Amino acid sequence: MEVHSSAFNRLVLYSDSVEDDPASTHPRLELELDSGIVIEERDIPPSSTVEPQPLAESNSICQGWKVFATTFATIFLAELGDKTQVSTLLMSAEFHAPWVVFTGAAAALIATSLLGVLVGRWLSTRLSPRTLDTAAGITLALISVWLLWDVLSS
Amino acid sequence: MDWHLLGLSFVTVFISELGDKSQLAAIALSGNSRSPRFVFLGAAAALLLASLLGVLLGEGTAHLLPAHVVKIVAAIGFAIMAIRLLLPRSESTGDS
Repeated sequence: MEVHSSAFNRLVLYSDSVEDDPASTHPRLELELDSGIVIEERDIPPSSTVEPQPLAESNSICQGWKVFATTFATIFLAELGDKTQVSTLLMSAEFHAPWVVFTGAAAALIATSLLGVLVGRWLSTRLSPRTLDTAAGITLALISVWLLWDVLSS
Repeated sequence: MDWHLLGLSFVTVFISELGDKSQLAAIALSGNSRSPRFVFLGAAAALLLASLLGVLLGEGTAHLLPAHVVKIVAAIGFAIMAIRLLLPRSESTGDS
């Protein structure tokens, strides 16, 4: 028996035991649960009707959000209490216009991270994946040391 | 809108962030990731939230969250990502 999740809310079980109705191509069992999840049992269809596409797509989106979460968490923690945050709050305190300072800072931060990502993508077109992994790993290790150094030297 | 102050805060933050660790992290993470768009979104969201907290709480953040602890946690996070990149690939099957 194979299990295929063809969409988010439909679980299709393909069964290769055909003893009860070999000619049938209809679902032999279909259950709809309260949550709207449909469990369906089918005989194994001709291979062309099994499409892995939606699965792969949802997988890559999931991967994307994982990337988002790790990037967000590490950069957020690294920046908290960093000099940018300190200068932002000093400026907003000094000029009594926190939202103007925040808008300026926000635009600058978006610009620097966009620049960073563009440089990263440009590098990825020039270097082999292996070199890139090593370089990125060393960079991240250096950032880790840099953060520890900040803690130890303050 | 005070355009002078806006420009001043933009330039100050832009220069202080150029080549800083968050930008280096964005370069490192986007280069080897298949979804650089999400790296950008994650980095920008994190930076915006950090500076928003700076503006809202003022000096309160220093008392709320000890910077030492936060930075050590961040350092561990970066170290884990570094190790995952530097170790030879064997997790391609068990990575789900």
